[in-house]
Amino acid sequence: MTSMAQIELEHVDKHYGQFHALKDINLTIPKGSFVALVGPSGCGKSTLLRSLAGLESISGGTMKIAGERMNGVPPRRRDVAMVFQSYALYPHMTVRENLTYSMRLNRRPKEECEKAAKDVAAITGLDELLDRYPRQLSGGQRQRVAMGRAIIRDPKAFLFDEPLSNLDAALRVHMRKEIRSLHDRLRATSVYVTHDQVEAMTMADHVVVLRDGIIEQQGAPLELYDHPANRFVAGFIGSPAMNFIDAAVSETGDAIVLEGLDAVLPIDRRLQPGRQVKAGLRPEHLRLGAPENSSIRLEIAVVEFTGAASYLSSATDPELTIFHAGRVEVKSGEVVGVSIAPELVHLFDPVTEERILAQSGSE
Amino acid sequence: MKKYILLAFAILFVGIYLFPLYWMYVTGLKAGSEIFRFPPTFWPQTLHFNVVDIWVRLRMDRFLTNSLIIALGATAIIVAVGTGCAYALARVRSIWMDVALFATLMMQVLPSSLMITPIFVSFNMVGLLEYPRLAVVLAQAAKLLPLYIVLCRTAFMQVPRELEEAALVDGNSRMGAFFQIAVPLARNGILVTSVLVFLQSFGEYVYSRSLIGERALQPATVGLQSFMGPNTSDWSGVMTYSAIYVTPILIVFVLLQRRIVSGLTAGALK
Repeated sequence: MTSMAQIELEHVDKHYGQFHALKDINLTIPKGSFVALVGPSGCGKSTLLRSLAGLESISGGTMKIAGERMNGVPPRRRDVAMVFQSYALYPHMTVRENLTYSMRLNRRPKEECEKAAKDVAAITGLDELLDRYPRQLSGGQRQRVAMGRAIIRDPKAFLFDEPLSNLDAALRVHMRKEIRSLHDRLRATSVYVTHDQVEAMTMADHVVVLRDGIIEQQGAPLELYDHPANRFVAGFIGSPAMNFIDAAVSETGDAIVLEGLDAVLPIDRRLQPGRQVKAGLRPEHLRLGAPENSSIRLEIAVVEFTGAASYLSSATDPELTIFHAGRVEVKSGEVVGVSIAPELVHLFDPVTEERILAQSGSE
Repeated sequence: MKKYILLAFAILFVGIYLFPLYWMYVTGLKAGSEIFRFPPTFWPQTLHFNVVDIWVRLRMDRFLTNSLIIALGATAIIVAVGTGCAYALARVRSIWMDVALFATLMMQVLPSSLMITPIFVSFNMVGLLEYPRLAVVLAQAAKLLPLYIVLCRTAFMQVPRELEEAALVDGNSRMGAFFQIAVPLARNGILVTSVLVFLQSFGEYVYSRSLIGERALQPATVGLQSFMGPNTSDWSGVMTYSAIYVTPILIVFVLLQRRIVSGLTAGALK
């Protein structure tokens, strides 16, 4: 992977009338990397992708693809390929015609088109289906045609707009791996929009979390998981979602008192005593133990088993979710002890919702 | 059981609707005296073929040619102008588009017999009455254009926008995406509506009657009317004329039926 920037966004703004869809977006995507744009619906991730494709115009800022300024450039002059959520296969064309549509638009010779169609069909496993129409294909096959139509172009960037959301769960997991391995082979710059944080975490080199048109945080998937910049990212990344509890820093400054749970948790940094904080505890970081020697004692309301893991929900207010790999001998109504390593306690400011760093600045 | 009762009703109603058509053909085949016989015969006792005679005697070739010129002219103008218009109305979302659509629908409710007076006066002033068939083509195109736009608009609305966007990203221009993606996928709607417009224009009467004075330029509808009157006795001739005129329309309809292939867009999405 070279570090040359393939896509650069500087201060990009987008207005729809009164609605401010994208606010001062700054994003640099290195050549050959796989970037996921993730966020809840309406966060602007699709708008950003469509702006990259040229299907939406941006209201302000600069957008560059491979070093060229793209503001106002029509889609056909951008040399990007897009895979749509609905696949958008041309229903009146066969798979072969769908794949070679862009080449035929460029008036490339017939033999070249045929060879390219064959090559791409081999990559995507569509060899037998070249003469079928989209309506004769299954969902997964249509998905492959949509991918193939992008691959055949050898574009400057691939844009994916929630390409897997119409597939069933099993196929989705399979295609996830397939897209990623395809990327590893082709090393084409890819921007992938999804609302599914698991997809973003598993596929991307670099994850961009958007909310209300603002980039909340961007970085490597595990960086976002380990060091969420604010409460939103902390709650969005990770499944099941992080537990949030109001808390106050203890008099000694190196522990927090959880409100409503009557529990004291040691933390790995020193904060001003009495300061109000929001504590974030990931369900998978909470460890079950005997009630006597654990910092938190909880009455369990619901226990769910998936076979490989157990999910416990507490009867307390606020409710805590605990993820336990393997099985537990806990019944509902039982009181259990829960503890967490000090370095795994996330702390956020209750007002700004930003991550609280250690006052000494050691983090 | 219920199915059969409904079927019986359906057949009954179809029979009632089709009876005039049947009567037209049967009367056209009857000889003069048998037409007025009471009780009427439901199948001619002596077949009386006078198709060729009527065709030659009433100069039907001339009338039908005029009808065709008017129908083809109006259809050509409507398809050329209306398709893009319908597409724009289907794609662009704004309050002004709603206003435009409303205005289009308003134009449709005005009847020809009301519109003919202002049309006659204005056409006369610009000298269009010198070319009466062109005048009818223009008037008829104006009358049916709203219908075409409204029906084609729904056809375009069923073409997913993503398909055109995909074409744009694949390297096509807006115009190219319209002609290569939107039009082919809306073609059933366009085709069916065009044929509808064509048949309507083929049977146009009010404008032709008012704007075309010269007999040689009149279409078949006006020609037929001139053979009918209080003293008409040649009902067999009139009915034969009608049959010659209507049969091609019926054939077109039957063929059209086969062209309405549903599910063309199936498989585009999901």
